[in-house]
Amino acid sequence: MSAKQDPAAPKPAERVGATGQRPDKQDDGPDFKTFFNAWLESHRASLVDSLRRLTKQPIGSFFTSLVMAVALSLPMGLSLLLSNVERLGGSWQRAAQISVYLDLDASAQRSESLREEIAQLPDVEDVRGISREEALDEFQQQTGLGQALRELPENPLPGVIIVTPNVIDKAKLDALRQQLEGLPGVDQAQLDLLWVERLTAILNLGDRFVFGLTVLLVMALLLVVGNTIRLHIENRRAEIEVIKLVGGTDGYVRRPFLYMGALYGLAAGFLAWLLLAFGLDWLNDAVVRLAGLYDSAFALDGVPAGDGFSLVCGAVLLGYVGAWLAVARHLRELAPR
Amino acid sequence: MIRFDQVAKRYPNGHVGLHELSFRVRRGEFLFVTGHSGAGKSTLLRLLLAMERPTGGKLLLAGQDLATITNAQIPFLRRQIGVVFQNHQLLFDRSVFDNVALPLQILGLNKRDIGQRVMTALERVSLKDKALQFPADLSTGQQQRVGIARAVVHKPALLLADEPTGNLDPRLAAEIMGVFEDINRLGTTVLIASHDLALIARMRHRMLTLQRGRLIGDGEAG
Repeated sequence: MSAKQDPAAPKPAERVGATGQRPDKQDDGPDFKTFFNAWLESHRASLVDSLRRLTKQPIGSFFTSLVMAVALSLPMGLSLLLSNVERLGGSWQRAAQISVYLDLDASAQRSESLREEIAQLPDVEDVRGISREEALDEFQQQTGLGQALRELPENPLPGVIIVTPNVIDKAKLDALRQQLEGLPGVDQAQLDLLWVERLTAILNLGDRFVFGLTVLLVMALLLVVGNTIRLHIENRRAEIEVIKLVGGTDGYVRRPFLYMGALYGLAAGFLAWLLLAFGLDWLNDAVVRLAGLYDSAFALDGVPAGDGFSLVCGAVLLGYVGAWLAVARHLRELAPR
Repeated sequence: MIRFDQVAKRYPNGHVGLHELSFRVRRGEFLFVTGHSGAGKSTLLRLLLAMERPTGGKLLLAGQDLATITNAQIPFLRRQIGVVFQNHQLLFDRSVFDNVALPLQILGLNKRDIGQRVMTALERVSLKDKALQFPADLSTGQQQRVGIARAVVHKPALLLADEPTGNLDPRLAAEIMGVFEDINRLGTTVLIASHDLALIARMRHRMLTLQRGRLIGDGEAG
């Protein structure tokens, strides 16, 4: 019945796991530093193993990352385009002008004093006066109605002061317009911001579209990562069962897959950054040419380094979360049989 | 070490795997569990590995109640156990060294300790020179010995083996049993499920005999 004992045999307490405690709590277990180093080594091994598995199938890994990169670059690209358009809209809005039409009987001296008075206002950047005669000449040149206008008993056009504000806020612009309209000798002050309002509304719509698209594509991205990790889990089912049988915790089983998801995310993030940089550069040539036709020096901004870094970090996080969800879902099915 | 008190295992489909089984195994014992197919040998091993839970009675392993053990505790319980399977359960994309090193990597040992322990375990099963080979390059007997090395490399308190000689010829089977006896001499409790009565008889150790989930014999073989 009893087993023959070797006198040189280690006592039960000298055996790993014989005390029933975790390795870090065994009598003969490693001290904290050794255990921490081993823990780091375990993470390093998982990372290297995941990297090795990904590079073992370079084409498959590349295309998975590319699909993720496209999904990431679509909302990010649209968002960058929108911010460029917002920048353009902002510069146009800054160039908004208020036309101040003077009373027909306002004298040239009154026009000049009004021009000086308006120039002193805090919200005004620049003023330019157009006399009644200059207005008539300009109108004749633009319309070709010179002969008809000359036959009128007197010049029907008022003098105008063109005011360039130094504010872009619509409410402030409107307040300035009302202030100008209230000045003695002023018949009417006109501010045309309708197109700016329309542009803003379109940009708001664009923002919402980008947000919706981002949510959808993030979900698609999680599915792509989850499905890819699921396939890796399936391929390693036997290994996982053995690991669990010899005492591997869920965390130990999960770790290489989380690194794999994060690595997919990292590759996808950099690929998306590259796609966006090249895409915007390619578009920029056409944009610069178009802007040149409107006497504008407008050019698209590239991907700011901060945005690119956020993109990569976000991609790594999404890869990690996608892998976590996939492993959490499939880990229960991987009990040893 | 192991205490079965009226342990029962009934499956949801009504099948009864074990009927109120009671026995004890002392630390350092070497025993066989035998019986025909369907006798309950594998169920008994699965209960000890916490792959299944008993539906009745009390089952203690090293003082831990396996009926109430939490899922989070199971990996730490399994680290006290070494398992040898009939089909080896080796990982064919890893070298012999890496297969044997697996339990130690899970335990978080450093590379130097892992290297030393793996080579000691391989030496014990006479496979030190095969460390860098892959399981597919080895014979069935050698693969089984790799499985044994992996099962004992972390010096478990209990070694379980499920039909470890099932696929082996008598000479290899005797050789493998010799390895188990060597391991037992080092103080490890060894429990082997086998239906090879001739082999069991030659070894003269304690033998539990199961029939349809009931314990019908408990005594020295031979």
